[in-house]
Amino acid sequence: MNFHFSEEEQDILDALRDYCEKEVGPKAAEIDEEEKFPEEARKQLGEMGYMGIYFPEEYGGAGLTYLTYIAACETIAEYCATTSVVLSAHESLCAWPIYKYGTEEQKQKYLVPLASGEKLGAFGLTEPGAGTDAAMQKTTATDDGDHWTLNGSKIFITNAHYADIFVIFAMTEKEKGNHGISAFIVEKGTPGFSVSGHEKKMGIRGSSTSELIFDDCKIPKENLLGEYNKGFKVAMTTLDGGRIGIAAQAVGIAQRAIIDTVKYDKQRIQFGKPIWKFQNTQFQLADMQTKVDAARLLLYRAAQAKQDGEPHSHLAAMAKLFAAETASDVTRRCLQLIGGFGYTRDYPFERYMRDAKITEIYEGTSEVQRMVISGWLGNTIEA
Amino acid sequence: MAKDILVVIEGADGAPAGVSLENINAAKTVADGAKVIAVSTCENCAKTAIEYGADCAYVIEGPQFETYNADVLADAVAQIAAEADPAAILTAATPKGKDLVPRLAAKLGAGSVNDATGLELDGDKIKFSVPVYGGGIISDVEIESPVQVASIRSGAFAKADPETGKAGEIVKKAITVADDAVKFQVKDAVNEITESVNLEEADVIVTGGRGMGSKENYMKLQELADLFGGVLGCSRPVYEEGWISRAHQVGQSGKIVAPNLYFAFGVSGAIQHIAGMVGSKYIVAVNKDEEAPIFDVADIGIVGNANEVLPLMIEEIKKFK
Amino acid sequence: MEILVLIKQVPDDSVDIKLDPATGAPKLDGVTPVTNAFDTYALEMAARYKEANGGTVTVATIGDDAAVSSIKECLAVGADKGFLIKDDSFADSDPTAKAYILSKAVAKLEEINGAKFDIVFCGREATDVANGAVAVKLAADLCVGVMTDVIAVDPADGGVDVQQQTDTGYNVIGLATPCVVAVQKPDYDPRYPTIKNKMKARKAQVPVITAADLGTEADKVGAAGSLTKVLGLHEPPKREAGIKIVPTKEEPIAAVVTRAVGMMAEAKVL
Repeated sequence: MNFHFSEEEQDILDALRDYCEKEVGPKAAEIDEEEKFPEEARKQLGEMGYMGIYFPEEYGGAGLTYLTYIAACETIAEYCATTSVVLSAHESLCAWPIYKYGTEEQKQKYLVPLASGEKLGAFGLTEPGAGTDAAMQKTTATDDGDHWTLNGSKIFITNAHYADIFVIFAMTEKEKGNHGISAFIVEKGTPGFSVSGHEKKMGIRGSSTSELIFDDCKIPKENLLGEYNKGFKVAMTTLDGGRIGIAAQAVGIAQRAIIDTVKYDKQRIQFGKPIWKFQNTQFQLADMQTKVDAARLLLYRAAQAKQDGEPHSHLAAMAKLFAAETASDVTRRCLQLIGGFGYTRDYPFERYMRDAKITEIYEGTSEVQRMVISGWLGNTIEA
Repeated sequence: MAKDILVVIEGADGAPAGVSLENINAAKTVADGAKVIAVSTCENCAKTAIEYGADCAYVIEGPQFETYNADVLADAVAQIAAEADPAAILTAATPKGKDLVPRLAAKLGAGSVNDATGLELDGDKIKFSVPVYGGGIISDVEIESPVQVASIRSGAFAKADPETGKAGEIVKKAITVADDAVKFQVKDAVNEITESVNLEEADVIVTGGRGMGSKENYMKLQELADLFGGVLGCSRPVYEEGWISRAHQVGQSGKIVAPNLYFAFGVSGAIQHIAGMVGSKYIVAVNKDEEAPIFDVADIGIVGNANEVLPLMIEEIKKFK
Repeated sequence: MEILVLIKQVPDDSVDIKLDPATGAPKLDGVTPVTNAFDTYALEMAARYKEANGGTVTVATIGDDAAVSSIKECLAVGADKGFLIKDDSFADSDPTAKAYILSKAVAKLEEINGAKFDIVFCGREATDVANGAVAVKLAADLCVGVMTDVIAVDPADGGVDVQQQTDTGYNVIGLATPCVVAVQKPDYDPRYPTIKNKMKARKAQVPVITAADLGTEADKVGAAGSLTKVLGLHEPPKREAGIKIVPTKEEPIAAVVTRAVGMMAEAKVL
């Protein structure tokens, strides 16, 4: 597999890095400290075309490859993990299922404004009683002739307060379990639909994480996304892609931690020499960088497979599992190498550690990834 | 230098700018026996210029000079130059001066430099030292045209000790500038900044950077400045954050300063900032980042939180006051 | 409105450039060439003017082939077409010679575009040599009005009203068009390129204009046409190395400040 970016793609990624260097990185600490949604970056990234980077131009996108999109997520995460998840939740979890499963009318109406960055998207699957076990959905959608009526609630929804368009899952035939779930498109401002609260999180503190409440919320009949009762497949294939985005976020966070640690260790003098000169420091960082590069290769392999239309659930799961655990491990060890200053909030290392942790949890915990991977193993290897 | 040197004096409210008086001294270092002649639209400025070392002065008179117009002044100075046949025309490297220099050079078919920090006689020419690449390199430039036109940076030369009441001929020149020589009109002058800030002539400047964290913290620097009768300076991010007006900005895009004592609190020391203050006689820097470039130019650098150091320093300095 | 923006490629001004003692030239290895910051402000102002009032924005630079990258950057952030003005005879041109070349280029580009330029935007100075004379001298060669330190340009009867930044605010200056404006940093930043514009710019052709195209006279360009001559470069006088104090357990921050103020008193700066 060959992950070389074309000169054009590399140019776009360089331009993004230049933007992040000037506009995203310098605001990351403030976004975290003040739990501030990165409104300006989201707007600018939209105007520049990064909020729809891999969707075709006819749908308002920039028409680049999926791999370029993933490299963009990684780049942004190197500067601000919050900003990265705002973008990936929007593109992977909301715009993508509409692109994949939507009708032409739905694409024109919803994908075009999403991909052009005019509107922000979100994805609602998780409920208080249905996290990993999606079949336990309590939100229902009933067919009332000329419209659907949604009742129930969703929690931990990324971008909730700022999103305009939501992809929502609800039980259409409860008794059928996973085979009774359908997907819907819900617009902000629909009567009976409200966003409530704000989760105070450990990391990615600038992202808006809130509850969605549906109280006799009527949505048009044509807002069913994909086939009736086939929502579980929509959710799972969407999450396969989402996980690649989160793996990219994890790789970006880990890479930034290493870069900043090397920079700091080259300046920090202890026992008469920069701590970078101690072999313990060097070897630890060598191990860490090796792990990050391994994670990146898994990440690009999954992205390439998705781009090529090949089966990639297990590849996405492996990438996310390994990248997330690497990010947690690397950020923790980097902080240790920095020592006392690393533990203070004057330095970004504790933030990297807090930001990394979520990548082991959302869009499928590490345990879920192991389920996916072992499931694939069981299915492909005969007794 | 066989020919005389004209020094265009910039002045406001009847008093010449300090840098213009420095320019007279600068001109004297390369005059080599020739006269240093002040040129001004204000008679008082001309008198003061003579007290500070000019041999004589031209005072430009005429209704066109009541409000400043660079095209009008450039043409008037060019008319004087046509008669006086000077070797060089010098002015202050202020925004006005740096705008005037190329206008004047264009009228005289002369070469010019802006922002010179040094002048040296080199045969019958002046060798101008001009900072390039943000000040990390000095370029020695010679102007090959018969008249050499240049602006000189404030602080590059000292003023002479004034000789109060010194006599010197003042020649009044009534000048009319032809309409077609004036290619723009000044329709309005808007003052957004009402406070008068004189960074260039301040003895002590207390500058704060982004490291102060907030406007409130930044304003606490005033107490330190007040101990010296000093002036508050700021880095570009501080002005852009709106903590204080642009008039306080030190650096390449703000003011180039050279006070006796310069404090830099929470200033990391971007090249553009350092270029604006590296001429200061004594520099004290406080920054939490041990590697901040500001420490490379500081006489005393303290590695620490600027907000923590500030009150301690105020208390300590009070003991000496 | 036909707008021309003149730009210059310079070494990255966020890098502290030193003299290479071996060559006596600036050490530029590994320093990225960028579009002069003031020129990027000029282009942004020109692009905004065009968006508000209609017209086209042409960008041109005197430079070598490397400068094409700067032209393409400009094409991604608001310029419609770009030209490289390149000739061996242009090497070592000072501002007077450059203004002459550019005055010829203005005429040539007007011929190519089939329309006269109304406004020529430049940066107030280049961040490398910071002479700040080209715009004014160009205006003189073109016999048109010029204003420096411009932070806003708006259409007005018979021309434009521009704001010239002053120490205390700004002057409102009336200029008849055609005119030249030299731009200072306004209170906004240049835009970032969109992916689409970046891709379009990558593919754009940047025609080269030579001395033969311009009909420049040999004794008016290069060193022969220059009125200033660089005799040499040297390092600025070094400041005497100061002292940097890091607080320790033995000498906490308060003690550090006491010592520092003591040193200031000794140096008689208090």
